[in-house]
Amino acid sequence: MANMNLYSRGDKLFVIVNMILIGLFAISTLYPFIYITSLSLSTGFEARAGNVMLTPVEFTLEAYKRVLIEPQFWISYRNTFIYTIGGTLMSLAFIIPGAYALSRPQLYGRRFWNLVVAFTMWFNAGLIPFFLNMRDLGLLDSYFGIIIGFAVNGFNIILLRNFFEGIPQSFEEAARMDGANEFQVLWKVYVPLSKPAIATVALFCIVSRWNGFFWAMVLLQDEDKIPLQVYLRHVITELTDDESFGAELINAPYSVETVSAAIIVCSIIPILLIYPFLQKYFSKGILLGGVKE
Amino acid sequence: MAGFAKTGGDMSGVNLQGLVKAYGAVQVVHGIDLDVQEKEFVVLVGPSGCGKSTTLRMIAGLEEISDGDLTIDGRHVNRVAPKDRDVAMVFQNYALYPHLNVAENIAFGLRIRKTPKDDIAQQVQEVGGILGLTDYLERRPADLSGGQRQRVAMGRAIVRRPKVFLFDEPLSNLDAKLRTQMRAEIKRLHKRLGVTSIYVTHDQVEAMTLADRIVVMHDGRIEQIGTPMELFLNPANTFVAGFLGAPPMNMITAQIVAGDQGPVAEFGGQRIVLQPLPSLQNAVGKTVTVGIRPEFAKAVDDSQPDRVSIEVDLIETLGSEALVHATLQGAPFVIRTDTVGQMEALGRIGGFTVDAHLVKVFDGETGLALPGQVLNQ
Amino acid sequence: MTGLPDTPSAAGSGRKAREVRKPGRLQRITEHLRREWQIYAMLLPTVLWMVIFLYKPMYGLQIAFKDYSVFRGIANSPWIGLEHFETLFNNDQFLRALKNTIIMSAYGLLFGFPVPILLALMFNEVLSQTFKKSAQTIVYLPHFISSVIIAGIVMTAFSPSAGIVNTALGWFGLEPVYFLTKPEWFRPIFIGTGIWQEAGFQSIVYLAAIAGVSPTLYESAVVDGASRWQMMWKITIPSILPTIIIMLIIRIGNILEISFEMVILLYQPATYETADVVNTFIYRQGLQGGQYDFAAAAGLFNAVVAFVLVMTANTISKRYSRTSLW
Repeated sequence: MANMNLYSRGDKLFVIVNMILIGLFAISTLYPFIYITSLSLSTGFEARAGNVMLTPVEFTLEAYKRVLIEPQFWISYRNTFIYTIGGTLMSLAFIIPGAYALSRPQLYGRRFWNLVVAFTMWFNAGLIPFFLNMRDLGLLDSYFGIIIGFAVNGFNIILLRNFFEGIPQSFEEAARMDGANEFQVLWKVYVPLSKPAIATVALFCIVSRWNGFFWAMVLLQDEDKIPLQVYLRHVITELTDDESFGAELINAPYSVETVSAAIIVCSIIPILLIYPFLQKYFSKGILLGGVKE
Repeated sequence: MAGFAKTGGDMSGVNLQGLVKAYGAVQVVHGIDLDVQEKEFVVLVGPSGCGKSTTLRMIAGLEEISDGDLTIDGRHVNRVAPKDRDVAMVFQNYALYPHLNVAENIAFGLRIRKTPKDDIAQQVQEVGGILGLTDYLERRPADLSGGQRQRVAMGRAIVRRPKVFLFDEPLSNLDAKLRTQMRAEIKRLHKRLGVTSIYVTHDQVEAMTLADRIVVMHDGRIEQIGTPMELFLNPANTFVAGFLGAPPMNMITAQIVAGDQGPVAEFGGQRIVLQPLPSLQNAVGKTVTVGIRPEFAKAVDDSQPDRVSIEVDLIETLGSEALVHATLQGAPFVIRTDTVGQMEALGRIGGFTVDAHLVKVFDGETGLALPGQVLNQ
Repeated sequence: MTGLPDTPSAAGSGRKAREVRKPGRLQRITEHLRREWQIYAMLLPTVLWMVIFLYKPMYGLQIAFKDYSVFRGIANSPWIGLEHFETLFNNDQFLRALKNTIIMSAYGLLFGFPVPILLALMFNEVLSQTFKKSAQTIVYLPHFISSVIIAGIVMTAFSPSAGIVNTALGWFGLEPVYFLTKPEWFRPIFIGTGIWQEAGFQSIVYLAAIAGVSPTLYESAVVDGASRWQMMWKITIPSILPTIIIMLIIRIGNILEISFEMVILLYQPATYETADVVNTFIYRQGLQGGQYDFAAAAGLFNAVVAFVLVMTANTISKRYSRTSLW
C-alpha cells in the first residue's frame, strides 16, 4: 500500500516500534489459548509439574479421551446446542416483527412503544425479582424457561429497528400497492433487504446463548438440563475435590488441569468455527446499534 | 401483446371531490376537486410542498383521506386498501427490490396475487418486450443503468394492468439527457396502452410535454387546470404565469391610465399599450401586474419610437436563439430572440415592443388575470 | 421574481379551507386499526414479552418494602416500610460491596478506558493491511469467549502448583503465590483480565471514528511536512475526541455495572474483602441465602442509582453531541 521510501527516518522508526508493540499485544492475547491447548495435549504429570510452556509436552490425547467418554459432557453439549439454536430462533421470532413494527411511521404511539423497549435497557428490576418471576411462572429447571426467558433484549430490537428505518419507506409502499400485506412486506421485502443486520442480531444471540452461564446456573438444578458452561464450571472448580476422580487420577495419564483444558478447547471450537462471521458482523453491529438516535 | 392494447373498463376515470389531507390540526391539502377522464394523462405540477405528492398518495391509498371523496372507475374508494384500488404506482426512487432480478421484480405483484406461474412468465416476457428489457430479465437492479431501472419500475406497474397509473416524480433521479429520453418513452407508452395516468412532477417542462391536462398546485390548492397551451397562453393568475414557461413570464408593476386609443399601462414614465377590453378600461387608475412572456417581447434598438427602454445586462447565446437579460424598473426582464442573421443587432438592443394582445394584465392585489384576455392557440 | 404578489383565490374550486368533518376519536382509531392491525399484531409478542419478563418483575420489586414470604406471595406479604433499607445501610458487608463496586469500576475506568483508544491509534499507524487484519483478528477474539472459560484460563494460569505465572516467578527464585486467595491481588487480576478480554474489541468504535476522518486532512499535512507522530496528535486525536468523550460519559454512567459473573467465577470467601460487589452480595444473600426481600432492597438501590447515572450520562452526551445512546 504505502511506500516506505516516502517516510522520514523518524517515521520509519515510529512505524516499526508501533508494529512491535501491536505484535506483543496480539501475542499476549493469543498465548493463553495456545497454552491451554498445549496443556490439554500434554500428560497429566508434565502439566502438574508446570513443564508446559508453549507446546505440548509428551503429546497425548488421553485428556480428550477422558472428556469424551463422560456422558455429562455430551448431555451438556447437546443442551447448549438446544439453548443456542432454540434461543436464537425464538429471539428472531420476537425481534424481527417487533423491530419492524417499531420502525413503521404509521404505528400509533410509536414514541411510547419505543420507550417501552428502551426503558428496559436503562432500568432493570434486578436479579431477585427476575428470579422470583421465573419461579412464579413455573420456568425453573425448564428448557423452555431458558429459551423464552432471555428471548428479547432492547439493544437487539433497537439495532434492527434502526436498520429497518434506514430502508426507504417506498419499498413498503410499493409492495403494499402490489398487493402484499404487512407480513408479506416484512417477509418478502424487508427481511431479504436486512440480511446483514439480521445476521448480526442472530450472531449476538448465538454468542450470548453459547456463553450464557449465570442464569443457567441459577435457574437449572437438573444435571440433565445444564449447558456446557455450567458443566465446565463444575469441572474446573469441583474436580479437584472430587474423591472418586481423585482416586482415578493416581495412575492416569491425565490430570485435573489437562481435563479442564480439554473441555475448554472443546467448548471454544464452535465459536472459532463461526469466528469469521462474528468478526465481520459484530463490528458493524456495535456501530449500527450504538451511538445513533 | 394484444392484451395490452386496451386495459380496464369503460369508465376508468378518477374523481376527486373536496379531497382534504390534515395531519392533526395542520391541513396540507385544502379540498381538491379534479375529474380525470378515462385514458387521460394528467400532470400535477407545483413547487415542493404544494401538496401534489400528498394528493397522489391519497389516490394511491398510501395516505388516509381526511375528508372528501375519491372515486376510481365509478367506485368510491376512500376506505379501500391500496392493493384493491386497481392502481399501480411508479416511485421516485423506483423501489426495486435489490434481492430480486428484473423478471422477479416485475412479477412480484402477480406472485403476491397468486397468479398462475405460466401466466406470470408469459406476462413478464410481454412487458419485458414492450419496455425493451428482454435481455436484462435475469439481472439484478444493481447491475442496471438508471434508465433501465426506470423501465423496470414501469414494467412492475404495467404488468398488473391497472385501471390507473400513478407516477411520483419518476424521472427526477435521472440526468438531464436520460430524462428527456424517458419522458418521450412514457408518452409513447401512454399512447400505446391508453391507461388513465396521473403524474406528479415539479418540473414544468415535464408537465408541458407529457400532459393532456395540467393541474397547477400551490400551497395545497389548485391554481388552475387546463391543457398545456391553455395554461401557457392564458394563465389564470400570476402564480401560474410565473410557474409555467422557461424563462418565466416577466412581471412589471404598473398603473392603468386612459390613453388615446384605449387603456395603457404606465410605469416609471414608460408606457405599454393594452387591448381595448372593457375589463381593462374599467381598471383605469388601478395598480396592476403586467406580464410579458420572453417569447412575446420583440427586442428593438434605440431608434424605435414606441419602444419600452431597458438596460441590457447580459446576452446568453444558445445557438438558434438568445436570451437577453435586462433590467426594467429594478427587476430582471428577459427577452428570447432569434440569432440567425441578427447577431449584430443583438449588440444594439435598447428596448422592446410587444403586441397589445400578447400582454397579460393581472389584478395588482389578487394576482388574478383580468377577465376577457383570451389568446387563442 | 420579487414583484410577484402573493396569489390568493383564483380558481373557483375548493378555495376556502374546508371544514374538516371530524370523525369521532373512536371511529378514527377503529378505522386505523382496520387498516393497520397487522403491525400491531407484529408488535404484540414483543410487548407482551417485555411486560411478562421485565415489567412484571418491576412490580415484584415491592418486596423490597415488604416482609416477603413465599407462602403469602408478593401481593399479600405485609408492608414494612424502609426497614430493609435501614438494615442494608447498617450492614457492613453491603457497604463493603458498594465500596468495592465503586473502587473496581474506578480502577477499571482509569486503566481500562485508555487502552482501546491507544490500540485504535496504533492500529491506524500500521501500514501493512495483512498485519493489521491478523492482529485485529487475534485481539477481538477474547470478547467472544465465555467468562467461565476466561476464568478457567485465569485460574489455570495463576494456579500455585502448575500455573505459568508461578512457574515464571520460580525462574527468578521467587516463592509461588496463591494469587486467587490473596485479597490484594484480586482487583489487579480482575481488571487486567477485563482489559485483556475487551480492549481489542472496544477499539472498534475508535477505529470507526478514525476511519471517518477525511483523508484530505492527512494529505495536506503530508504536503506541509508533518511527521506521522505529529499527524496523530494534531489530526487523529482531535478528530476522535468527541467519540472519546461520549464513550467516557457512557462508561461513567455505567459505573455500577461490574461484570459480576466474572467476579462470581473468580472470587472466594478469602477474597470477599476486596472482591465482593453489590450484585454478588445480592446473589449470595438472595439467591443462595433466600433473603429475597432484603436482597431485593439492595437490588432496588442499585437499579435506581444506575438508572439516574445512565440517564444523566445520556442527557449529557446528547447535549454534547446531539447523538444519544439509543
